[in-house]
Amino acid sequence: MLEGNNLSKSYSSGKALNNVSIHISPGQICGLLGRNGAGKTTLFKILCGLVKPDAGQVLVHSKRPKPVGGIIERPGLYNYLNAYDNLKIFAGIQGAPADKLSIEQILTKVGLPLDRKDPVRNFSLGMKQRLGIAIALINDPECLVLDEPFSGLDPIGVTSLIALIQNLAENENIAILLSSHMMAEISKCCHFLYVIEKGEIVNAGITNELINQHITYFSITAANLSGSPVLKPYSVEMGTNDAKVRCNAADVPALLGALLAEGVAVTACTPVLTLEELIKKAI
Amino acid sequence: MRLLLSAELLKLVKQSKTYYALGAILVIELLILITAYFQGSTILDLLLDNLKQSFYFEGTLLNGNLIMYIVLNALWFNVPLILMIVTSGIVTDEYKDGTMQTVMLQAVKKWKFILAKYIIAVLFTILVISFMMATTFMLAYSIFGSGDLVVYLNTLNFFESADAFHRICWAFASGAVSMVFYCVVSLTLAIFIKEAAKTWIAAALFLIINTLLLKVDFVIPAINSFFFPKLIDTWQQLFYYEIDWMQILINNALLLLYTLAFAAAGTFVFHKKDIG
Repeated sequence: MLEGNNLSKSYSSGKALNNVSIHISPGQICGLLGRNGAGKTTLFKILCGLVKPDAGQVLVHSKRPKPVGGIIERPGLYNYLNAYDNLKIFAGIQGAPADKLSIEQILTKVGLPLDRKDPVRNFSLGMKQRLGIAIALINDPECLVLDEPFSGLDPIGVTSLIALIQNLAENENIAILLSSHMMAEISKCCHFLYVIEKGEIVNAGITNELINQHITYFSITAANLSGSPVLKPYSVEMGTNDAKVRCNAADVPALLGALLAEGVAVTACTPVLTLEELIKKAI
Repeated sequence: MRLLLSAELLKLVKQSKTYYALGAILVIELLILITAYFQGSTILDLLLDNLKQSFYFEGTLLNGNLIMYIVLNALWFNVPLILMIVTSGIVTDEYKDGTMQTVMLQAVKKWKFILAKYIIAVLFTILVISFMMATTFMLAYSIFGSGDLVVYLNTLNFFESADAFHRICWAFASGAVSMVFYCVVSLTLAIFIKEAAKTWIAAALFLIINTLLLKVDFVIPAINSFFFPKLIDTWQQLFYYEIDWMQILINNALLLLYTLAFAAAGTFVFHKKDIG
């Protein structure tokens, strides 16, 4: 379990964190949402022990040699070495098993090929993220902290990384904290969400509940929506193939029923939630 | 610590800049050899024309010992500059590539990690100086052969071939202590500054100021004797006619103490500093 209580940190440029508290249980995936510069990375550095807070404390209930593993901002790798040598070095320096079998097991766990012998500078960003996670997993940490893990990844890379993160939480019972400013990606895999703005936690809750509480728009995809009389009472933003309709979640079934009765063939209805919405509502 | 040292060694061996440093030393040596081969005799004849009429010199004065002495003079600026750039990279590269953060996220003690870097930097420096001495010896002796050595230090000093070789070997050993001092300073600067280019500038500035201070008279005898800029040219004392071994030993011991002080300061600051 990883816990940060009343954490504050100031730099010469201003206050980066103000009285932030956060809690992640074993097997739980927690998301930290926030704009760029909101204080996510500072919080992660404090939780990992890289930066000392001005106030507050970090509690890690673990007796393992490495309680917290992580990637901050980007996976820091020895680009002139191959994946195997990178793992060998990082395992070796902390006395973790660095034999061929152990290293190949870690590579397999994160889905990296065993036959790549070229330097990691040739790797795609997705592969580097996986190798970064592999390094973070050396010495069996109980908590994993991943700062912007989806940044720069293509949709296939994001899907595959989400599957890996979910697998680690479910099968290895690791407490995982990940940050992003991308709502869609983080809401797909997190059990619990924290929203940070200007160094303060402004919103928090179970992912589904938080999303349901704050959704005010739904994207409805259908042909001939622009002429529909059913949509007249609503505030609607028309797109090329969809309409963004402002309404409560409870009204959606009735709205869709009315559209179908009118003869509009609805093909999709997706809740639209932006980070701004979560921040604005909380403030 | 053994595991950290072997990891640092693996990094050093796998990095191309290690071989660039050794290549740069070889280039300096080759340039000196080529220049000496084509122009050395003419210059020496001009310098020693009068003396040759009064004294007998065994063999030619343009010989392996003279070449080794000229190469030894690269310890004033060229070699320490190369060493400072390469050794500071041991730390600055880790900051640039983000690997410093990755290492600090592992179960590794900060002071042990940075101490391993200091040890590897010192070993690398000793390796470079040994490489420099061995290659110069092989090239210079095979091309120019042995002979008496003439050195100008306030006055012209002449040493017989065997004595000259003996002095040159000790000078390389004493010079290695100076180079170790410079490399430890550059690593400490890298810990303070973190950025490669800024560290190079600071290291070059340190080298220049140190060389300038060597010539400055500080009036107070203790400073003139024990301040570190006054100790870095101790290897030159091996080419005075009468060698003061005790003074050489004290100077090198003091320089090693300064080296330890710089390393301790760097380790302390690194241990206290936030990463990132």
